[in-house]
Amino acid sequence: MPDTKDKYPISADIKDNQKFMKERVGVGVSYDLGFREVVVLKRKIQLYYLNGMVDDPNIIQLLKILIEINDNEVDKKKVYEIVENRLVNESVEVIKTMDEAVDQMLSGLIVIFIDGEKSAFVVDVRSYPGRQPEEPDTERVVRGARDGYTENIVINTSLTRRRIRDERLRNEMLSVGERSKTDVCVSYIQDVANDDLVKLIKDKIRAIEIDGLTMTDKALEEFMVERGWNPFPLVRYTERPDVAANHLFEGHVIVTVDTSPSIIIFPATFFDHLEHAEEYRQTPGVGTFIRWVRFFAVMCSLFLLPLWLLFVIDPSLLPKELSFIGPNETGNIPIVIQILMADIGVEFLRMAAIHTPTPLATALGLIAAVLIGQIAVDVGMFSPEVILYVSVSTIGSYVTPSYELSVANKILKLFLVLMTAFFGVVGFTIGFTLIIFFLANLKSLKTPYLWPFLPFNAMGMLHFIFRIPVPYSNVRPSIVHPKDNYRQPTKKS
Amino acid sequence: MKKDSHSEKQDNLSGIFSKALLTGFIGGLLWSAFGVIMYYFKFSEVGPKSFLLRSWLTAEWTNGWLGDVLSILLAGFISLLPAVIYFAVFKKINSMLVGILYGVILWGLIFYVLHPLFSNVPQLTDLQFKSVVSSICLFVLYGAFIGYAISFDYHNMKVREKHRKQARS
Repeated sequence: MPDTKDKYPISADIKDNQKFMKERVGVGVSYDLGFREVVVLKRKIQLYYLNGMVDDPNIIQLLKILIEINDNEVDKKKVYEIVENRLVNESVEVIKTMDEAVDQMLSGLIVIFIDGEKSAFVVDVRSYPGRQPEEPDTERVVRGARDGYTENIVINTSLTRRRIRDERLRNEMLSVGERSKTDVCVSYIQDVANDDLVKLIKDKIRAIEIDGLTMTDKALEEFMVERGWNPFPLVRYTERPDVAANHLFEGHVIVTVDTSPSIIIFPATFFDHLEHAEEYRQTPGVGTFIRWVRFFAVMCSLFLLPLWLLFVIDPSLLPKELSFIGPNETGNIPIVIQILMADIGVEFLRMAAIHTPTPLATALGLIAAVLIGQIAVDVGMFSPEVILYVSVSTIGSYVTPSYELSVANKILKLFLVLMTAFFGVVGFTIGFTLIIFFLANLKSLKTPYLWPFLPFNAMGMLHFIFRIPVPYSNVRPSIVHPKDNYRQPTKKS
Repeated sequence: MKKDSHSEKQDNLSGIFSKALLTGFIGGLLWSAFGVIMYYFKFSEVGPKSFLLRSWLTAEWTNGWLGDVLSILLAGFISLLPAVIYFAVFKKINSMLVGILYGVILWGLIFYVLHPLFSNVPQLTDLQFKSVVSSICLFVLYGAFIGYAISFDYHNMKVREKHRKQARS
């Protein structure tokens, strides 16, 4: 809302207020706006609320208290004070303007007008419709916390707060959207997170001008990082409070948007997207092993298909001991087309699986197995080896912990396949080099995307290659430029 | 107080110089390993060992895996030199492009200027097209790897220095 707009003061005549509510807010038109009028000590008292955000017992309780005033009190001159005293709720505020009243009511609070008074009471008994914290589907672990963020920003910040009982944890609330007035919470640990980073993020959020953030964090993200058509995720999402808390300790900044169960971690690099909570739930040795295997799988999802295609196009590249690679019979369709078709077929399946109702999922699986697997080979559409490599590369992309990254990798893979198909070895090497430079050139809030690989940072790389045992991982990652570099007091030696 | 002295020690030029040396060493290992893989899959008809070993030695073992491992290690140590040169000349330019150019220059140096040193490597004009492209890509990546890291560290050091000065005044 522009500040220049006149503020409407609350009128002493309750009819004016009623008229305002009727014309401006649509009381009586919108069915979710609740309105109730009672008479207390011969003065009219009006209640406005949203019926979906306030529990019925609360309203009944409130009305009961107000009406009981008639039985217990006699002083008609002090209705205002009596009502204020009798409102036994924990959060009662006094407001002076109609604009505030409307804002508060639309956030789910109860507004109480009293005839003859120029101020109103706002009682907070709201309970947003929502679900309990559950384990997020996309980030499961074998052991460890099973709570996840929900759609309620208050629950979300308290889930984080439970893990960081530090007085220096800051949860700053901002409001985005002219019409939606979505709550956005910026969380950081004050003496760890870099001031410039926090300021940059807050400035960017304040600069957003939009009517509503219905796609919440995703929409917010697009305002925050210059994206263009780049498919790669420049921020990391998580639905796990433990992951979020861990990143806060590392000096990252976290942005929570109301009505979204995922929170944004700023800034994030390519390698952040390859880490998973599961690694930290296993012993460091196992965690390291998992990480290596995962990295290998992700590399497979990117490079296996183009590489294989290269060897099919030019078998002379293969050393003697690997010469068995490549299809025995080329089939009726060129291999490139087969690869593209199979890959896009897998993509069909993935998309279908997202919104196939559960009862149909089994049928989908069956059709998929039969169609792409056996029959396509029997009919002579695909050579069996194409199916093998497409499957391995698809599984590799499912192993990628970040869903966004796996989809982006898919696009890169297609680019590389086409480059290889057109230009052979030269196409592959140039494509590979271009991909590396494209990624290295990306920046997530001034952070190089391929850090710690390009620009190389030995400490950061060590932490990526090995899952260092927690007692030894003392240094916060330097890429977030933390104010306090050390997680534990350095030992005096 | 110990914290402060520690982080300041990292921030002076010698700290960055040792980082640059490490980057050079690891860059040499990494990209020569890529070179070996490219040689193995015949992306290029010359590999690191054609330069570092086969030009002087013709013993049978240099053709096997030992030759590859040894040439990777050698490349790591030799690669300290480009890192030092970059540190001395280009560290103040905070851009990846300089690293890429640096890689091209190094490639020209090794494949053209210093070519007479390597008797086992064909003339540039005799090399296959794919070998030329592959080796240029490799050197460009190597140059960017070294250059970007050194410039980035230097730039960050300057930024932190400025912050400290502001904090003191």
